[in-house]
Amino acid sequence: MAVDESKPMGLYIHIPFCGRKCDYCDFVSYSMDYKAQQLYLDALFTEIDMVKRNFYDRTFDSIFIGGGTPSIVYEGYIASLARKIYSSFHFLDKTEFTIEVNPSSFTKEKYFEYVQAGVNRISVGVQCLDEKLLREHGRIQSMENIDETFKLLKNSEFPNVNSDVMIGLPGQTKSSVMQTINYLMKQNVKHISTYTLQIEKHTMLYSKLKKGKISPVKDEDMVDIYNKINKTLTKAGYCRYEVSNYAKPGFECKHNLKYWDDESSYLGLGVAAHSYIDGYRYYNTKRLDTYIDAMNEGKSAVYSKEYVSNEEHRIERIMLSLRTQKGLDLDKFKKDFNEDILRTRAEAIKKMTELGMIEIKDNYLKIKDDYFAVSNSIIVELI
Amino acid sequence: MDRQEKIRNFCIVAHIDHGKSTLADRLMEYTNTVAKRDMSEQMLDSMDIERERGITIKLTPACMKYTLDGVDYTLNLIDTPGHVDFSYEVSRSLTACEGAILVVDATQGVQAQTLANVYLALDANLEIIPVINKVDLPSADISGTKKEIEDIIGIPCDEACEISAKTGLNIESVLKSVIKNIPSPKGNEKAALKALIFDSYYDSYKGAVSLVRIFDGKVKAGDEILFMQTNKSFMVTEVGIFTPQAVATDYLSAGDVGYIAASIKNVSDTKVGDTITLKSNPIDKPLDGYKEATSVVFCGVFPLDGDKYQELSDALEKLKLNDASLHFTKETSLALGHGFRCGFLGLLHMEIITERLEREFNLDIITTAPSVEYKVYDNKGNVYDVTNPTEMPPMANVSKMEEPVVKMEIITPKDYLGGIMDLCADRRGIYHDMQYIDANRTKLIYTMPLNEIVYDFFDKIKSISKGYASMDYELSGYQDSQLVKLDILLNGEICDALSIIVHKDKAYQRGRALCERLKTVIPRHLFEIPIQAVIGGKVIARETISAMRKDVLAKCYGGDVTRKRKLLEKQKEGKKRMRRLGSVDLPSEAFVSILKLDD
Repeated sequence: MAVDESKPMGLYIHIPFCGRKCDYCDFVSYSMDYKAQQLYLDALFTEIDMVKRNFYDRTFDSIFIGGGTPSIVYEGYIASLARKIYSSFHFLDKTEFTIEVNPSSFTKEKYFEYVQAGVNRISVGVQCLDEKLLREHGRIQSMENIDETFKLLKNSEFPNVNSDVMIGLPGQTKSSVMQTINYLMKQNVKHISTYTLQIEKHTMLYSKLKKGKISPVKDEDMVDIYNKINKTLTKAGYCRYEVSNYAKPGFECKHNLKYWDDESSYLGLGVAAHSYIDGYRYYNTKRLDTYIDAMNEGKSAVYSKEYVSNEEHRIERIMLSLRTQKGLDLDKFKKDFNEDILRTRAEAIKKMTELGMIEIKDNYLKIKDDYFAVSNSIIVELI
Repeated sequence: MDRQEKIRNFCIVAHIDHGKSTLADRLMEYTNTVAKRDMSEQMLDSMDIERERGITIKLTPACMKYTLDGVDYTLNLIDTPGHVDFSYEVSRSLTACEGAILVVDATQGVQAQTLANVYLALDANLEIIPVINKVDLPSADISGTKKEIEDIIGIPCDEACEISAKTGLNIESVLKSVIKNIPSPKGNEKAALKALIFDSYYDSYKGAVSLVRIFDGKVKAGDEILFMQTNKSFMVTEVGIFTPQAVATDYLSAGDVGYIAASIKNVSDTKVGDTITLKSNPIDKPLDGYKEATSVVFCGVFPLDGDKYQELSDALEKLKLNDASLHFTKETSLALGHGFRCGFLGLLHMEIITERLEREFNLDIITTAPSVEYKVYDNKGNVYDVTNPTEMPPMANVSKMEEPVVKMEIITPKDYLGGIMDLCADRRGIYHDMQYIDANRTKLIYTMPLNEIVYDFFDKIKSISKGYASMDYELSGYQDSQLVKLDILLNGEICDALSIIVHKDKAYQRGRALCERLKTVIPRHLFEIPIQAVIGGKVIARETISAMRKDVLAKCYGGDVTRKRKLLEKQKEGKKRMRRLGSVDLPSEAFVSILKLDD
């Protein structure tokens, strides 16, 4: 099955710096340091120069600067990076340009810098409004910072704001999550990502859990909160267009949608970035020093590459599309994989339809609202 | 001196762990039968499982040469299995001997299997040489042990050898005593061939090989021999002795212990206890005491992966080559698919076979709850032998049921007497007698239903007594019993592989325990699953596995796709390994759980 090369691509750039690593985080990040930031920017430029010739005939329509904490790097950094990418790749007119910011390092100056650089979507890492709880989990952020951030965005009528909300931080209650959600609705945030915390190995949280210092939130409670959020946000006009993403109509994240479409390609730059291009996945090195050394020596930052086989494609298609509101396009699936899943998985589909877990409508198979919380088990029945 | 006067045929009897195999090793070493450098611990125990558990399952005889007062003696040591499951094999081995060394651990004294085995030896009219082992240990009570042997068994111990098989202390005294006290064989070399099969094994080159004791006559390659019980005849291709490796000789004659190979395809043609004679010159009647090996404990054996049925079938065939006492027939279960119903001599035998299937054949298997053979009488007066709960006629048609019972002997230090008696009562044991062995130890005698001991009785005895009590049992017949078939329903469907036959007084407790256990081992599904224990349509216990509420909801961005896909693939693999019953996926632990009920 061929990947559609005519589809516009996404561009992801990883900024691996943080003021402090949150206990639950397993993303690659390093402590902030001016010199290191500068070396890293140079390396990013080198990588862009190295790879750009491969994309001279491709177009892009989304940019996502994530981290780490992209708002922590010094002023002018993002603007300079933006100029570099504009001059290196072809962007369509309505390119979505997202940057992740942390209220503790997001300033008025940086805001104007981003807007000037073309940023049209800002993702505020709120996570939770309970300061005490956040501090316990090592996140530096105050209610005051958050208020200021939203005041700034509101006053300047910035149109497209996303906020990340975490469910299931040990110690978190349902009311504290709902307080956060209500606050964000009041701030007229157009997009909300709510993901349940997964305690990953190699995080502080994991070791605290192992030592018995904290206990995880019960599955039942997490689902309860998850469902409550869905009810509240749906009522307020948000649509859950993916398992953990809500948006007002028209504000779905173009960039993220590419991650859930096995036919779209995206290019990831920077340390620990990941690319998916024409059916191949590429993983950049996760070590900052290795990345910078490689760039200085003019070598590739990619440390592993894998081809996604047809069977893997098939599984990814089912898995990714069933996580979305739209569901699985049955006609397209049949065409692409030469398989009528209604026949090959007839028994499972019949059973799950009877149980009210899935539905087939207009030739799309999708998970019903109430069963998003068990999407994995449903997907396993179909792959 | 006559040839036979220079031969001694003997065996060693002992309780488990009293040092039988170690003594055998030491004797071989001392007589240079096996060079020390070739010595692996416990030479005669040729299977890995035997060495690990310190028990002997398969017999291997050893022919040792020893010179005393200028005479070269041939000492044939016939090792015997030390476990109750194999008592028939033991009795045949004993018949092949004129004497037995009785090994008793000086730190433990006489134990249940010491008695069981020594009685078998006395029944076989063997001369018994008492040997006190482990005398080097600080906790050894030599005089106490001797007194016990004299008091309980009635064998004088004035001249008993005091040895340490481990260090080699006084081993020579044992050899001297064997020559002095054990009578030499007194067969007639000129008479017609009369040989006893006391074991057999399968060799891929020689076929089924019989281990024999020649009582009268002579046998050599080229003779046509007749197996009197099976009435089959074969041409001898090779005879020989064990050193302990098989070494061909020109002939075997009266008094000898050795092997006969005759290109026999099936080990079931070389039945333990059968008598071999010459076809051209047969004896009138075979030796006494022949018994068919009968299965006592039964269970279903299924491949974990349904595709491995053929492999399991091949593996069982191969094991059967060497083990005529293993029986199996095809069985089909709704829950487990195709597999086999296997019959075993006892619990240990069952454990050994299932372990060998896993270890030697690399098979993952599921075994169902062990069962015994019940006699079921229906309203029309028919009697059925039921070894599989699924074959039970409907309870409404059953007029009467009988179950096998055993005579159980348990020897325990008196501190644990109460606990053990409670256990026996709980397992429906009927108390018969209590005898004091010494100031500290007691022998209990019970009649117990076999089905109460097939699960974990031995483990329980061991744990109650901190390992000090020992037990031995023999089948003693059938008794009427109020038995019921207990079924387990999962999501309304009967899971045949979980059905058991159980006494009605215990059904409620069992059913509840089983439901509780299943609740913990069956993973949550997308829907609620009721687990019910049912007797003839009446629900006696119920648990519910609530529906899965959440599986991973976490974010899924570019770099995670592969990882997520692999997780799902793994989850799917896991599901494939489960057994599907209706709409419920059962992990193999569900079937194991029935074996591990702590009630």
